[in-house]
Amino acid sequence: MTPSVQPSFHEILLRSKQGPLLEEKEFDMSLFRKTQELQKKHRIRYDPEQPLDLDGAMADRLYQAGIELYLSQGTYCSTTHRVITVSEQELAAAIADCPESVELGQGEDKVRMVHRDVEGQQEPVVVAGIQTAPFSDEQMMAVIYEGCARDACVDGIWGGILLTIDGRYEVVAGAPSEIYQYRKTVEILRQAVTAAGRPGMITINNAPTCSATIAMFDEEKGLRRSDYMESTGMSEMKVAYDDLNRSAFALAHGVPIHGTHSSVIGGFSGNPEGAAITAVAASLGLVCVHKAVCFRCGTVDARIKSRVTRKQLWVAGTAIQALNRNTRLIVDGTIGDHPAAGPGTKQYLYESAAGHIVSTVMGAHSTEGTRKFVVGNTCNYGTPLESRWMGEVCKASAGMDRRTADRIVRYLLDKYEDHLSEAPEGETYEGLYDLKNNTPLPRYRKLYEEVREELKDQGLPLD
Amino acid sequence: MPTNQEQERLLAELKTAILEYAEDQADAVTEQIIEAGIDPLRVMNQTIADAARELGDKFESGEIFLPHLVMAGDVMARVSGRLESALEPGSEGQTGARTVIIGTVQSDIHSIGKDIVAMLLKANGFKIVDLGVDVPSVDFVRRAKEESAHLIALSSLLTTTMPFQREVIEILGEMGERNNYKVLIGGGPVTGGYADEIGSDGYGKDAVEAVEIAKRLSGIDHSASSGGSS
Repeated sequence: MTPSVQPSFHEILLRSKQGPLLEEKEFDMSLFRKTQELQKKHRIRYDPEQPLDLDGAMADRLYQAGIELYLSQGTYCSTTHRVITVSEQELAAAIADCPESVELGQGEDKVRMVHRDVEGQQEPVVVAGIQTAPFSDEQMMAVIYEGCARDACVDGIWGGILLTIDGRYEVVAGAPSEIYQYRKTVEILRQAVTAAGRPGMITINNAPTCSATIAMFDEEKGLRRSDYMESTGMSEMKVAYDDLNRSAFALAHGVPIHGTHSSVIGGFSGNPEGAAITAVAASLGLVCVHKAVCFRCGTVDARIKSRVTRKQLWVAGTAIQALNRNTRLIVDGTIGDHPAAGPGTKQYLYESAAGHIVSTVMGAHSTEGTRKFVVGNTCNYGTPLESRWMGEVCKASAGMDRRTADRIVRYLLDKYEDHLSEAPEGETYEGLYDLKNNTPLPRYRKLYEEVREELKDQGLPLD
Repeated sequence: MPTNQEQERLLAELKTAILEYAEDQADAVTEQIIEAGIDPLRVMNQTIADAARELGDKFESGEIFLPHLVMAGDVMARVSGRLESALEPGSEGQTGARTVIIGTVQSDIHSIGKDIVAMLLKANGFKIVDLGVDVPSVDFVRRAKEESAHLIALSSLLTTTMPFQREVIEILGEMGERNNYKVLIGGGPVTGGYADEIGSDGYGKDAVEAVEIAKRLSGIDHSASSGGSS
């Protein structure tokens, strides 16, 4: 008997042209029906009193539910309106073929992103920086990113955007200005990490369009083969050719592919149980269809502008645990990347800590940067100190057991979960940092140290 | 003509059928309502509107999800269609039904937020023409003219696609069509201040507020404010 092989990328493209033709609404409603059936069949149950799944038995059942959902639902190609499906054997081969580790960065700044176990000691890779956020000008962008890159607990930096070119020409997605702007900002990012003494550090950015993303790749001044290419799955369990074009470029040029997908609580997955099943299934889709070697397994809530509600912690945490207990895949969690509160507030630090503790303890890396949940296009809305916090919390959480994490997360939820809808806005870099020497103002440093001490008292080993 | 009590019972049954997404039951009760001679406008403006409001509240509280809105929207569209066909000649214009052209702007493929707004609008009695995602600005205007729409709803989830919301308004102006349509904008990075800046008629900070603003802009509900837009 010939051993099964995973479908090649070209085979995936063929299936996107020849798979079953389906109205998008039918696919969406089918997702809802199946997630509701599977949560009953596999006894997946969200208990608000238990924000972290502690024993793993339900996570194992969730993995089976995710497998069944992916095999029956597939990935919807919104470009061709066809469903890309794989067989059970092909899915198993795709999971088995995926590497257990990938090298990122160069020289002394190189890191190895490995499969992490639940409660694993393996060091999580942290890609911080104020992800895809707008900056007022090139100089401010350079200063802030240099500050982010100086912290040893940060392994990589996400780039941001400029709203205009030379202060005159508006940057618009899909227009030549987008290509020019992204290219310019990634050059600034490379210069910033070099100025910080870490020239080989991972640098990442992802434009709305594939053409602008490809334009950022340049070994000398832009993104390198040692960075990674984002290939985003559309919520929920969908893909467009613009995303597969990114995969095609990355495969042709030997760039590791990092997939991302968010299930939606309140969306077509329905309840948290359904969103958890979809989170697992969609992750498998990123491996099979996008050819991702590492991926973000996440969730959003259709109603709340934060990623660390109690439901989200359970959905993403259990889905990450399900994948890490049952495969050797490289999972990125990044639950704490978009707090409701703004920089310079205790709530930001509480939210960020809760998400990154769950993510790390369940066996994930954190590579999606720091940024308050986006509302408006306020410039310079973040500082290097949030990157340090992300790095410190993730590295300190490695090896922590789930019961300890559960206790700390409950403490943090008590601090912020009643304040998510009216979260404090915080301040921009200018209000929180000394512009002359790129260091936090005393009051921000004091606030940071207070929360740090608070979490040390709770058992987070931050020293 | 049935007694008031009998009328109320039928209308309550219809509302229950909508809230339970029971298409067959809704069809049957609608026929009974028409046979009983109850004013279709009253059914649409009271019973269906009440059901829509309750659905919005349940969605907001997490009791129901997007697929439930889809199912309820389908039931309400069927019922509304049947009731409209039973209207006295000449009264069609009084139904309050307004056509909304909705979509995510060019170069932006985010759909969930737009889908939720579309479903809530549909549940609230609007006729929805959903153009999908990555919609060229001129297509919004072209379809609005073709559909004799009342409102154009534009979603943007990216800072660099927000300019397309402004572009749609500019195209409407250049074509001399700006006064023919109300424009409602929303999406993650969008604010009331931006809505003011580009001359939008309204801004919804979330789906529920977007529906309230759409109703106000359509003259259906005068109690709603203009959201974040001053």
